Amino acid sequence: MTKAKIKYFFAYAFLIIVSFISIFPLLWMLISATNTSLDVIRGKMSFGTAIVDNFKQLIQTTQIGQALINSFRNAASLTIISLIVCSLAGYAFEIYHDKWKDGVMKLLLLSMMVPFAATMIPLFTWFGKMNLINTTAGFMLPSISTAFLIFLFRQSSRNFPYEIVEAARIEGMSEIRIFTRIFVPIMKPTYAAAITVTFMNAWNSYLWPLVILQDKKSQTMPILISNLISGYTINYGVLMLAVSISTLPTIIIFFLLQKNFAEGITGAVK
Amino acid sequence: MKRKLLSVILMIAMVTCLFTGCSKGSDDSSKTGSNKAEGSKTSDDPVTLTVWCWDPQFNCYAMNTAGDIYTKAHPNVKVEVIETAWDDIQTKLTTAVTSGQTNTLPDIILMQDSALAKNIINYPDAFVDLTNSGIKFDQFAAFKTALGTVDGKKYSVPFDNGAAITCLRTDILQQAGYTLDDFTNITWKEFIEKGKVVLEKTGKPLLSNQAGSPDLLMLMMQSAGAWVLDENGKANFKDNAVLKEVIDTYVELVKSGVLVEVNDWDQYVSSINSTTVAGAMNGCWIVATVTSAADQSGLWGVTNVPKLSNAGATNYSSQGGSSWLVCANSKNKDVAADFLGETFGGSVELYETILPSSGALATYLPAGESAAYANPQDFFGGDTIYLKITEYASKVPQVSYGVYNYEARDAIGAAITKIVAGTDYDTAIGEAQKELEFQMGQ
Repeated sequence: MTKAKIKYFFAYAFLIIVSFISIFPLLWMLISATNTSLDVIRGKMSFGTAIVDNFKQLIQTTQIGQALINSFRNAASLTIISLIVCSLAGYAFEIYHDKWKDGVMKLLLLSMMVPFAATMIPLFTWFGKMNLINTTAGFMLPSISTAFLIFLFRQSSRNFPYEIVEAARIEGMSEIRIFTRIFVPIMKPTYAAAITVTFMNAWNSYLWPLVILQDKKSQTMPILISNLISGYTINYGVLMLAVSISTLPTIIIFFLLQKNFAEGITGAVK
Repeated sequence: MKRKLLSVILMIAMVTCLFTGCSKGSDDSSKTGSNKAEGSKTSDDPVTLTVWCWDPQFNCYAMNTAGDIYTKAHPNVKVEVIETAWDDIQTKLTTAVTSGQTNTLPDIILMQDSALAKNIINYPDAFVDLTNSGIKFDQFAAFKTALGTVDGKKYSVPFDNGAAITCLRTDILQQAGYTLDDFTNITWKEFIEKGKVVLEKTGKPLLSNQAGSPDLLMLMMQSAGAWVLDENGKANFKDNAVLKEVIDTYVELVKSGVLVEVNDWDQYVSSINSTTVAGAMNGCWIVATVTSAADQSGLWGVTNVPKLSNAGATNYSSQGGSSWLVCANSKNKDVAADFLGETFGGSVELYETILPSSGALATYLPAGESAAYANPQDFFGGDTIYLKITEYASKVPQVSYGVYNYEARDAIGAAITKIVAGTDYDTAIGEAQKELEFQMGQ
């Protein structure tokens, strides 16, 4: 065996081990979803036949359909609105010139350091007074504009050729058309990355939906899963099935946008 | 241009739908609110009592059954249960009270007994004083009503029984030459001695416990009528003879191998169901976990817990359990109090109905006299375990958990991890007391 082959052998062996360690919890989750609670507890590591029973029980004991619809509606609306607002902001921060803009950006980035739990109670008081409790608007408003997304779009815009904007202006294109017709198509990878991150955060958000969406019909998937582990006896098979179902939308979105995701994070324009 | 116009119209339509769709929920809740207001004025107007509680098979089931019973006598009253995990109830309660938005709270909430004093003392205006509501508090186990009593005012209606029990595998005991009687009314010293024999002859430890969890230690403390906070709610770690004995006993249990420490709750359940250990010691709700291994039917027995050696020591204690509270913001306070009084505080039928399918045991003492409680349980070798547990509940020593109960428990949990790892008792407990006092702002 040549030196190079030996090197590859060890590299692949190492990568296979690391991949297995990364995938193992996901695999275990899927295996557990097909087994009875007792089998899961006793450490059964092969696929079982209880998936239909687990599914029946999940449907009978929870409002999983409603929770999936709620989570999807909340996450999709938040993602769409958030992307529109933050990409406009990121674009504006880079393309337009103002002596205060760097200071404002720094202030925005500082806001990333304030944990949400610290602002939750004042927000709740304020939203209560504005009758926004139990509304999707109440759920979305605090997260529509995030410093991270604005920063992501601004950083990507750095590589965006300013000459195109100037040329378009000379051609008589309006500012909004320059944004929608030139900037958006070129920034597709950044949008893909932003969709993945925003959707995943919105889908998984727990604390704010918990306090703001009080209605029985507003329950989201993370809250449903939290209820599944609150009892004296936990049905681990049903729990793992619910967790598997809950991870599906984010996995689908990630795989659909996977190609663009890496590009978007590293920079859209080459 | 047309396409642009169309996309703008579609966008506006989408956002409008989204926001109007969302506000529907608040319309509904305002309707409920107006129902509530009317319900308090006259007795025949429709009333919906909203309840936050957790566990669909246990608490939610019990509350729905109570709702059905009450609706039969009061057709205008409906109970709506919103399933909410306990930690989430605490988060929502704290957020609502501290932000002044108490109108977001339901009419009734279920609360863990260990958090009763903390919430009632911290938020006295958030809950209704039920002392003169007509609820017969003397018919509940005394230690349970004491947990929800602050300054002589009774705020909570006891529900879920947390009386401590020892579940043991009788087949494994038999292999070691013991019966369940050998583990009844014994001391911890005897328990450890017998546990060593069981371990030697069968290879099975008697108990498991989550490493760093203070639950078993607190169970031992209460069995002696002692606690880690004094009557003024201050830390009572140093010079607490009972705590010293409890920790020494625990360390001895671990070192002798009679108790095996596990990493988390899931492993704890697994150790019981997979026969890694020959028993479980916890609140009586652990029966639900034990019986989930249906193939072990007939192999389990239930008895009381071992006692310490100090003067107030008993074989009875409590772990977990929960109680109902009426929120002060409720527009139907009187209806809610009457509902709790007629059902959880007055209906043997309720407890008889919920017992067989949920195993939900009452602290309402008259329920213990009903036929359902005297049914022999095949899983436990035909023993009438529910009668036993109700009797245990009536003998549990009263203690005052105090406002900083959770913090005190966490401090003890951290201390026991250090002590098991070899840190000197006085050092670890001294640090725990300092840590707690820091959290209490002393």
